[in-house]
Amino acid sequence: MIYYKKDTDHVVTLTLDMAGRDTNIINHEVSRAFLPVIEHLRAEKQKGTLRGVIITSAKKTFCMGGDLEYLSKTDDPEAIFQLAEQLKTTFRALENPGVPVVAAINGSALGAGFELALACHHRIAIDKNTTRFGFPEAQLGLIPGGGGITRLTWLLGVQKAYPILTGGHRYNPQEALQLGLIDELAVNDREMKEKAKAWIMNTREARRPWDQKGATIPGGTAKDPAVVIFLRNESARLFATGAHRLPAQRALLSILYEGSKVDFDTASRLESRHFTSLLRSKETKNMIKAFWSDQNFIKNGGNRPKGFGKFRPRKVGIIGAGRMGSGIAYVCLDYGMEVVLKDVSKPIAERGLDYVSKRLEQMKASGRKKPEECEAMLRRIQTTESSADFEDCDLVIEAVFENRMVKQKVMREAEEYIDDYSLFGTNTISIPITKLAQGSLRPANYIGLHFFPPAEEVPLVEIVRGAETSDESVARAFDFVRAIRKTPIVVKDDWGFFAARVQNTFILEGITMLSEGYPPALIENLGVQAGMPKGALALADHLGLNMVLRYENQAAEHYGSKYIQHPAVEVLRVMLEELQRPGQQKRAGFYNYQGEQPAGLWKGLEEAFSSSKKRAKHEELMERFLFAQVLEAVWCMQEKVIHSVPAANLGSIFGWGFPAFKGGVIQYVNDYGVEAFIKRCGVFKKKYGQRFSVPSKLRSIVSQ
Amino acid sequence: MPEAFIYDALRTPRGKGSSSGALYEVKPVELLSATLQALQSRHPVDPAQLDDTIIGCVTPIDDQGYNIAQAALLHNGWDTSGGSLQINRYCASGLEAVNLAAMKIRSGWGNLLLAGGVESMSRIPMGTDGGALLFDPEVMAGAHYLPQGVAADLIATLEGFSREMLDEYAYQSQQRARHAVEAGYFSKSLVPIYDRNGLLILDRDETVRPEVTMDKLSQLKPAFEHLGRMGFDDMALERYPVLESVRHAHTAGNSSGIVDGAALVLVGSEAAGKGAGLKPRAKIRAAATVSVDPTLMLTGPAPVAEKALQLAGMTVQDIDLWECNEAFASVVLKFQRELKIPDGKLNVNGGAIAMGHPLGATGAMLLGTLLDELERQGKQTGCVTLCAGGGMGISTIIERV
Repeated sequence: MIYYKKDTDHVVTLTLDMAGRDTNIINHEVSRAFLPVIEHLRAEKQKGTLRGVIITSAKKTFCMGGDLEYLSKTDDPEAIFQLAEQLKTTFRALENPGVPVVAAINGSALGAGFELALACHHRIAIDKNTTRFGFPEAQLGLIPGGGGITRLTWLLGVQKAYPILTGGHRYNPQEALQLGLIDELAVNDREMKEKAKAWIMNTREARRPWDQKGATIPGGTAKDPAVVIFLRNESARLFATGAHRLPAQRALLSILYEGSKVDFDTASRLESRHFTSLLRSKETKNMIKAFWSDQNFIKNGGNRPKGFGKFRPRKVGIIGAGRMGSGIAYVCLDYGMEVVLKDVSKPIAERGLDYVSKRLEQMKASGRKKPEECEAMLRRIQTTESSADFEDCDLVIEAVFENRMVKQKVMREAEEYIDDYSLFGTNTISIPITKLAQGSLRPANYIGLHFFPPAEEVPLVEIVRGAETSDESVARAFDFVRAIRKTPIVVKDDWGFFAARVQNTFILEGITMLSEGYPPALIENLGVQAGMPKGALALADHLGLNMVLRYENQAAEHYGSKYIQHPAVEVLRVMLEELQRPGQQKRAGFYNYQGEQPAGLWKGLEEAFSSSKKRAKHEELMERFLFAQVLEAVWCMQEKVIHSVPAANLGSIFGWGFPAFKGGVIQYVNDYGVEAFIKRCGVFKKKYGQRFSVPSKLRSIVSQ
Repeated sequence: MPEAFIYDALRTPRGKGSSSGALYEVKPVELLSATLQALQSRHPVDPAQLDDTIIGCVTPIDDQGYNIAQAALLHNGWDTSGGSLQINRYCASGLEAVNLAAMKIRSGWGNLLLAGGVESMSRIPMGTDGGALLFDPEVMAGAHYLPQGVAADLIATLEGFSREMLDEYAYQSQQRARHAVEAGYFSKSLVPIYDRNGLLILDRDETVRPEVTMDKLSQLKPAFEHLGRMGFDDMALERYPVLESVRHAHTAGNSSGIVDGAALVLVGSEAAGKGAGLKPRAKIRAAATVSVDPTLMLTGPAPVAEKALQLAGMTVQDIDLWECNEAFASVVLKFQRELKIPDGKLNVNGGAIAMGHPLGATGAMLLGTLLDELERQGKQTGCVTLCAGGGMGISTIIERV
């Protein structure tokens, strides 16, 4: 597992190569395997036959992090704490053989893998486009547990370490060098090893700053005013983004605060204690389930029709150079595809190019993309007013105005030029795919690809299958979405598909509370406190009250005589018909607007809906917000609108911002406790109506 | 006048007050929180019933600053309707907190109060809060204000306590502490410290050294000699010209240990106790403070105990057990000599020489230790006294009910 090779200059190279795996990870096994190696190094050092150590990997990557498989399953605090402490002991021993130790980082090093690199005196990496460094732990509700927080603090200072730890960002080698995460770059493996050797030969003694008497943390500790004010401000800032609801974010600040004031080993131990408590917290377990287990289910092709070869789209046609079309173009370019961007005229199509260029300028300015990369991306895009240019496209996506006639017209134009094998995707939010597919030359190849704005950021695409869409088209759409590194969820061609349909129940619940006499500010704040990204009324305005009503009317149509009118419908009627406040687009809705920006809740609301209830059971209102969505999602599962728990969970988190710390819209039930949830629904049903009835298959659905 | 009763007293273990100590990793607010949680798990006390919480802390800066009492209550999610207060009367702080609480009750302006103290000497070292009396040359030199250790050596010199006498006393403290630990005398009131996952961090006083011998003690170097030689000896001799020199006899072995810890005492009126369903354990008979010569500094215990006895209408003979804080061996020997207290009644379970002296908490800890021992021995009356910075002394007399 760890190969030991010593050269004539007494420089030892340790090559990490775990058997039976594509990548190296940090687990019990590795931790144990290091012990005899370290013993041996010590003995060599004593004999005077050790000049230095180079640590590298035989895999494509350096080391990809901790053993989530194990971590996600264990709950014993003693075991977790000891695991973290054992790893720390290993890393401490590694940085203390008395000779220089260099990490020769041949590929990505993430999480605990990067902690291994940090436990070396010097880091040299190959400058490859695909290589990434950093701490993605925070995205899983975790923190580094192998001393990474404390080492980074000592290397960079509290202020610089914090964003690296909290953001979960994966840095390319250039960025990593600039930030001080690594010390040197090399063009290839040979140069990396030469540089590593040279550094060792030029370094007499290597001692970490924290092992040197009198050395201090750069920029100071939390005893220093600048640092402690920074930490206080960041604690406040968590509230501004809602991140204070994530225990890992709070733990990070706490460790930086306390850890900077105590010695290195104590700071490291504090880290282990927080790591242990986070790993056992419900929030973290939920996040690991969503972003790791559920994500893996989708990545491994869960819900992708089987038996079709992998589709590798090379060239994508996009119709419509608006925000959505341009965003989709950007993502496709970003993942190496060629793009033909068409609109009614060349100048209008050029607007899409401008959008892409501006975005690339920003990426360049912030150092997130190299100039060569940006140039290459721009070389891959072609703007046009002619569908003839779609001729050699593997896939054409239409993202034009939400109008059936227009959408069908552009589809027919494009279909004349693309071949029988090409896929045609439509980005619609509310028009049934089956209806749009009428008049298509190849309805089997016609599919809904529902991106969410901004398309370059939201990591979800709903794949909507029309009545005639073939399995193969679904598989290909799935592969396309994976190729642009987004999460595909396959949904049924029902109203609002999955995301909009479920999100609408959140909006309707908030509007209902208005009719019950709760003050609008309370409704908005409790929605956010429940973990939603925006208040229900703000979302209604954003979507447009007509749209909210339209979804509900579609539900009425769908359920026919079984439909019971939602209490929010009457409020929507008053807002639309009597008060003439249809939402953001008309700059009058639940909110007032200055230009396009909301400028406070509309003062007339309290009078119009006689907001009288100043006292409210906050917990109950917050639960209603989430329960409404959860029940709708379970109905969606039961009605086969969506086909798997992972798809529903990730769809809810990525699609409309259902709280990740709850693990998504189905995991919520498990988090709450299935029986407790059902019981609570009973209470809500009595108090608030039929919409809180429990779908008959809830128990079996949530236990999948 | 309502009487003030002690309903309970508890404390954390004392951890070595340096980066190698077990409690170094525990922030002071958590030390105090641990005692609050333990209190709540032992009694049905509703925090909303508390009229005040008074916490002694001697170096109230950084993580002990900005009123750590309020920080701990809020950190624990307690109802703070009674408010809270952090006080500093140097080493007397923890006991002063109890005395203040008793006074509030006896005045009728408070019914149920928490008192106690906290000090993480590993995190917030003694003296790091600065202070005119310690560092302002004009004030410090003007008052002939010595480092405590030099003052302790000055007392030993004036009283003629030999190094051997001091070491013998220290040895006895260690032996008594060992016996008390082994016999489980402390376990009743000792709150183990766990981490946020429920993993044990410390459940015993960390600095007790049962293996210590007279021989080992005698080999330790005087700890305050170089401070004395720097000029503090001469500062002392200016006040005590009768001496030829100051003999430096205190060492790390016969002085109190630097440790971390926290303690709490629940004090209330009879009615408040009944209302909360609590059983009184003792009555606070008297409380007093004095201040003596700041150069000698540590001789307050005898005069302050006498003052308290007078307030209680008692004599030395009326007290069954005594606790005099073992700041330094000479402090206790001087006190014992002045009041003629037999060995068997004084610091019977050892003291700060063996177990350490977490400055702001010690007074409250000693009161609890005394009360437990009175109950164990079936005795009635006890007196706690401590010397304190600036020449002060404090004393509290309790009687079991």
